[in-house]
Amino acid sequence: MTNNTIETLQKNKDLYGSYESKEVITWCSGCGNYGIQNALKRAFTLENLDQKDVVLCYDIGCHGNGSDKIDAFTIHGLHGRVISLAAGVATANPKLNVIAHGGDGGTLSEGVNHLIHAIRSNYKVLFLHHNNSNYALTTGQPSSTTPLGQPMNSAPDGVYIDPLNPLDLVLSLNPGFVARTFSGDINHMTEMFRKGLNHNGFAFVEILQVCPTYSRTLTKEWYTERVRDLAENSDYDPTNLEQAKKVASEIEKEIGIGLIYHNPERKEFTDLLPNRQGVETAPVEEVKRMNIQNLLKEFE
Amino acid sequence: MKRNSIKLVGQSGSGLLSTGEILANALKNIGFYINTDREFPSLIKGGHSSFQVDFSTEPIRSSTSYADILIGMDEHGLKNYVDKTRKGGIVIHGFERHEKVMKLKKSVEERELKVAYLPAREIAESFGGNVLMTNMILLGLLWKILDFPLEPLEEEVKKRFASKPALLEIDLKCLHKAYESEDTPDLKIEVNKEKPETILINGNYAIGIGGIQAGVRTFYAYPMSPASSILSYLAATYHESGMLVKQAEDEITAVQMTMGAMYAGSRAFTATSGGGFDLMTESVSAAGIMECPLVVVIAQRPGPGTGLPTWTCQGDLNLAIHAGHGEYGKAVLACSDPYSAYEQIQHALNIAEKYQVPVILLSEKEIAESMQTVPRFKEDQIPIERGLTQGKDLEELKSTDRYAITDSGVSKRWIPGSTKTYFYSNSDEHWEDGVLTEEADKAGQMYEKRLKKMETMLSEFPDPIVYGEEDADISFVGWGSSKNVMLDVIEYLKSEGVKVNYLHYDYLWPLKTEKFVEFFDKNKRVCLIEGNHGGQLGQLLEDKTNKLFASKLLKFDGRAFFFDEVLEFIKANHDK
Ligand SMILES: Cc1ncc(C[n+]2csc(CCOP(=O)(O)OP(=O)(O)O)c2C)c(N)n1
Repeated sequence: MTNNTIETLQKNKDLYGSYESKEVITWCSGCGNYGIQNALKRAFTLENLDQKDVVLCYDIGCHGNGSDKIDAFTIHGLHGRVISLAAGVATANPKLNVIAHGGDGGTLSEGVNHLIHAIRSNYKVLFLHHNNSNYALTTGQPSSTTPLGQPMNSAPDGVYIDPLNPLDLVLSLNPGFVARTFSGDINHMTEMFRKGLNHNGFAFVEILQVCPTYSRTLTKEWYTERVRDLAENSDYDPTNLEQAKKVASEIEKEIGIGLIYHNPERKEFTDLLPNRQGVETAPVEEVKRMNIQNLLKEFE
Repeated sequence: MKRNSIKLVGQSGSGLLSTGEILANALKNIGFYINTDREFPSLIKGGHSSFQVDFSTEPIRSSTSYADILIGMDEHGLKNYVDKTRKGGIVIHGFERHEKVMKLKKSVEERELKVAYLPAREIAESFGGNVLMTNMILLGLLWKILDFPLEPLEEEVKKRFASKPALLEIDLKCLHKAYESEDTPDLKIEVNKEKPETILINGNYAIGIGGIQAGVRTFYAYPMSPASSILSYLAATYHESGMLVKQAEDEITAVQMTMGAMYAGSRAFTATSGGGFDLMTESVSAAGIMECPLVVVIAQRPGPGTGLPTWTCQGDLNLAIHAGHGEYGKAVLACSDPYSAYEQIQHALNIAEKYQVPVILLSEKEIAESMQTVPRFKEDQIPIERGLTQGKDLEELKSTDRYAITDSGVSKRWIPGSTKTYFYSNSDEHWEDGVLTEEADKAGQMYEKRLKKMETMLSEFPDPIVYGEEDADISFVGWGSSKNVMLDVIEYLKSEGVKVNYLHYDYLWPLKTEKFVEFFDKNKRVCLIEGNHGGQLGQLLEDKTNKLFASKLLKFDGRAFFFDEVLEFIKANHDK
């Protein structure tokens, strides 16, 4: 973190403080969610976002137990459905900053269709993908990102189906914004969240999240040894899709983190709507009785 | 009341629908009241369809099982529907080899039918037209038999085919040629002197217009018959309304987006049929605990499974009432015709916002896709009631106001962005500001608070309505489209000296029973009319009141109740 950002944080400590919650946190010690929560509050503060203009949406999972741990408008819905719920909020009021959280279970299994179509539709939502490589809240069943061979609750002899790589899927869908970050690096997460908040469209941020309780092999140390910040590589061009796909999938020795892919050309959902070009108001501001005389003519 | 009915039969995709619509609109423009009914299979081309137009000089809301005039647009239609023609009725067709259709010959003799025939294809081709234009010839011939002025029909044809001027010219030639036919069967139909101020519209479009009138700004849905044309209508009119219309990737998405939009402060709803609604039920339950306003329209078709996609029923009342796990406040409304569809969607939105509950509005294929003449929709009749805390009151809010325990079960609601006072909208059990709790005392109180809304709604909802005569010979109770056939029957039998009345439910859940008990006590023979096998509303009423129906008229074959079918039931039951 630069001196500059520390200064801004200090200057805006009241804003940071407004997001602080008195609720007792219920995560395991060492859980990646602590850092994610922190980084998010920092990002809000650094972006100078007023509490009233932020809506935090949570899926059901361990991350979802943080849904009442940041003081802001939050909505904690159903397992696997958070992206659609957030898209409803964002389409009704594009003036809000809508942030959605989902685990690897909810996002890649229960509700994977929502992910695909949200990327396609390009709703203005910052999506934080809490990838802790297991179903933590249901006590450690394998998810579709659990490594092959790993014994888990419900897979006593080890996982026997190949895992999938979320970014392979996401990058195949012509996304607008894709980043990867790591729950052990609050500064890096803060930067990625800030970038995502500034993206006009669906911003997918995969967080490699440690789960000390159920994902025992993928420890903080394991990740720390492997992650490499793409920002250190001056040749890396985040607008190059082929390069992005390579970085996303080649994770055997090193795992690239940072802004992986960015396509600023893609239009946000509201800007695609043929009948709402140039409309300045948000749908929520337009709710009032509408004249139907013209419409009735067809039926006279 | 003198009823007339014309049935067009032919292959799906052969222009039957547009011909039927032209006919219905032309009759309306002459001054008739109209009810239409379409029967068609779930496919795009081929297979058999019919389009029936029932019309009268007085309001008419139902179909008969037979037709006075049958228009056979092909051989198959003629063979299969000729026996649906009333004895002594008229068959119009253009099938050249009709001499070889033994079935037609036999039925014509047995049923003393009059036949009007023109070599339609030959005539169409003589003007450079094709097979589709034979429809115009049959219409022209029909018009001659009806002895109506050609102009209203011509106008409709022009309106419909305005975008294809070359074809229109041939169409009009066909129409004129057939209208000049001589020696056609005689028929005298009474015509209204003055044209009533009506519109001819179906229930789905009416729901769309009701939504627009009520300030719906976002609509999310996944296509499913017979609800799909709500989506396509709102899309077709979105330049005019400015509405954000999104075809979602599935029903779960549609309902979730609708909830998100309502939470954010838009007015939104979604529409589907039974199967799509099954997928939504987890979300309906979530809306219950989050106290998030939600409106879902179910345009019913017969299940189970894929069932009969293009047919009608009232089979999903129990589904709507019991949808979603857990117990919580929820309302179920129904509409009965296009006018009520226009109104009920507005009430549904108000109830959802005022009481902060999921509301299910039941429609039926029979209402959704059948055009009927109804009074022109009145504007500004139903105020928009949002139950939102706004303006200066926002400053006084505390987070705990959002789910505060109240006597009515209803707490304050406000939208994100409108104030700094945030709250947690939580589908986990929670306390007054939405913070998660598992404490017994708080969990119990909150569970009960949400259910208190049922009592509040029960006391504030309108009673069911009685139609028809006092001191009736026979009485009925029902909901949905049953009202249409009952109103027609009541009126008709009045002139025959038989007294019938009918208690109609528009608000089905929470279920009001006072008026029902009163109705039961006042009338000697109360029957149930319902479009399902279990008599679902009847069962609920019997269980709640211990009043048992004398008899039940139930139907579950995909068809709506026919006028004559109810008459027969009354004949068989009224003096028992
Ligand atoms: C419809 C439905 N199915 C199953 C569950 C049970 N459930 C709760 S959380 C969860 C999986 C959690 O895994 P993930 O999404 O990866 O989140 P994590 O807990 O690991 O953060 C499941 C299966 C549920 N709540 N709802």
